[in-house]
Amino acid sequence: MISNKNIFSRWVNLCITVGTYIFLYVPVVVIVLFSFNKSDVSIKWQGFSLKWYAKLFSSPEILSAFKVSITVAIWATLLSVVIGTCFVVAISWWKSRFVTLLFYPNIVLPEIVLAIGILSMFAFLKVPLGYTSLIVGHTLIGLGFVIPIVRARFIELDPILTEASLDLGATYFTTFKKVLLPLMSPSLIASALIAFTLSLDDFLISFFCSSPKVETLSIYVYAQLKSMVDPTINAISTCFLVLSSVGIIVLCAFKVVDQVLTHE
Amino acid sequence: MKRVKKFFKEDIPFFFAFPAMLWQILFLYVPLFILFGYSLFTYVPVLGKNVFSLQHYLQLFKPAYFKVAANSFWLAIETTVICILVAYPTAYFVALQMRLKKMRTLFIFFLMLPSWMNFIVQVYAWFFLLKKESVLSLLLYKIGLTSEPINMLNNHFSMLVGMVYCYLPFMILPLYSVLEKMDKKLIEASADLGANRFQTFKKVTLPLSMPGLLVGLFLVFIPAFGEFAIPDLLGGAKNAYWGTIIVDKFMKYRNWQSGSAVGLSSVLFPLIVIVSLYGAYRLISFLRRRNVYKNVGSK
Repeated sequence: MISNKNIFSRWVNLCITVGTYIFLYVPVVVIVLFSFNKSDVSIKWQGFSLKWYAKLFSSPEILSAFKVSITVAIWATLLSVVIGTCFVVAISWWKSRFVTLLFYPNIVLPEIVLAIGILSMFAFLKVPLGYTSLIVGHTLIGLGFVIPIVRARFIELDPILTEASLDLGATYFTTFKKVLLPLMSPSLIASALIAFTLSLDDFLISFFCSSPKVETLSIYVYAQLKSMVDPTINAISTCFLVLSSVGIIVLCAFKVVDQVLTHE
Repeated sequence: MKRVKKFFKEDIPFFFAFPAMLWQILFLYVPLFILFGYSLFTYVPVLGKNVFSLQHYLQLFKPAYFKVAANSFWLAIETTVICILVAYPTAYFVALQMRLKKMRTLFIFFLMLPSWMNFIVQVYAWFFLLKKESVLSLLLYKIGLTSEPINMLNNHFSMLVGMVYCYLPFMILPLYSVLEKMDKKLIEASADLGANRFQTFKKVTLPLSMPGLLVGLFLVFIPAFGEFAIPDLLGGAKNAYWGTIIVDKFMKYRNWQSGSAVGLSSVLFPLIVIVSLYGAYRLISFLRRRNVYKNVGSK
């Protein structure tokens, strides 16, 4: 048995692990709970109500911020998955790790540096900030995750399948559509979900690259935190939580978490 | 096989790779050069033009900046140390000591879930828990730990809690992935050869988990140094931090030249620290190994 030869006893580690989970989940649970609270003061539980959700969907500011967030996330996801996949397929004959190394800075560099970089690029090109800059920034982050994930899957594919398809008289386009794309689809869906969630989650790039007219939901929440807070934010947070959990549950269904963990 | 190679190498046009490469170069590498370029010039009002100078970098070593850097370094060090102390046992437990081996992915999934929430929402969650009229302060009051519901917001503690909350998963995941792949027999072998727990940890587990620790350092220490939102929202914006200065220079003072220098150094400074720490670690282990061999040789 390994356990009695480890640095700390199993029980100490168990306690720390349980503590970690409590630490991670107490805020989440409290917020979700209080988003259904009737009270305005947000401290006493006065019964179940959906009024903060009603308020959320009747506020034009929140709705427009929500629209911006979703639009940007969809565009960033589409762009990063499409151009990322094209890149992976077109460069697949190059076996060296250097190819994905090119895209490591997107993950490793702190977001604040990416953000001021994009800001200065847009100032340099004299393009006004707005949807374009947001989509550019979020696509950049998405690419950093799409390319390693799709490539990991693509390299695993059996070349015999491609050969068989070509031998059987399929054209290159058909081979791509009927053989390669279906085989790659789990990684495509997974990376799309990751790109989408990351775009929704992003704060710093949105902070630097949005204009006063085009604000994402995270900028709205930030502004609220700076001025005054009301329980509507709890409802927004719960929506965010639901959105990202759906994403990650689908990811787990595709076993991508495992894949990413063992490959990176 | 030849045909497949030809298919990928020749028939799929190389230019399919261009959009992603162009995107990467245009919006990541070129902007870094632009930032670097900005940081090397200073606007001189008398001449009415920009002059090449290293002034923006030299001023980072002035006392005012030194204090900010010290604040940020201290915050980043505290965050990283707490993250390692919490993340290592957690990752270790889930990877090696858990009885329910099949549930591992599920446990990791639940570790990741909060960090997949919006970053600002994570910060807000602690804002909600630590403010004066919150569940937590009321609970502490009810069980008699405090004489009245207290405000736990806007101090160093609240900031640290927020930092650890946001960065912890980035330390756990890399550590988990190396520990999980580690050959467990090595631990047993070490114990069989007579090493005690601490020797096994020092000589076997720690060196083998070093890559994960290093990745964790990169993902925690560097962004923590340039963090802006958490000190701003949970720390009450009392002290200036490196990230605060970047934001102020870009958004408030519109001094992009100086801002670029501060922004680039927000990566450079912690990177230098990590690289020198790792270098020292390698040097020490190299010297120790040489000593061991010398002793063996002399015997």
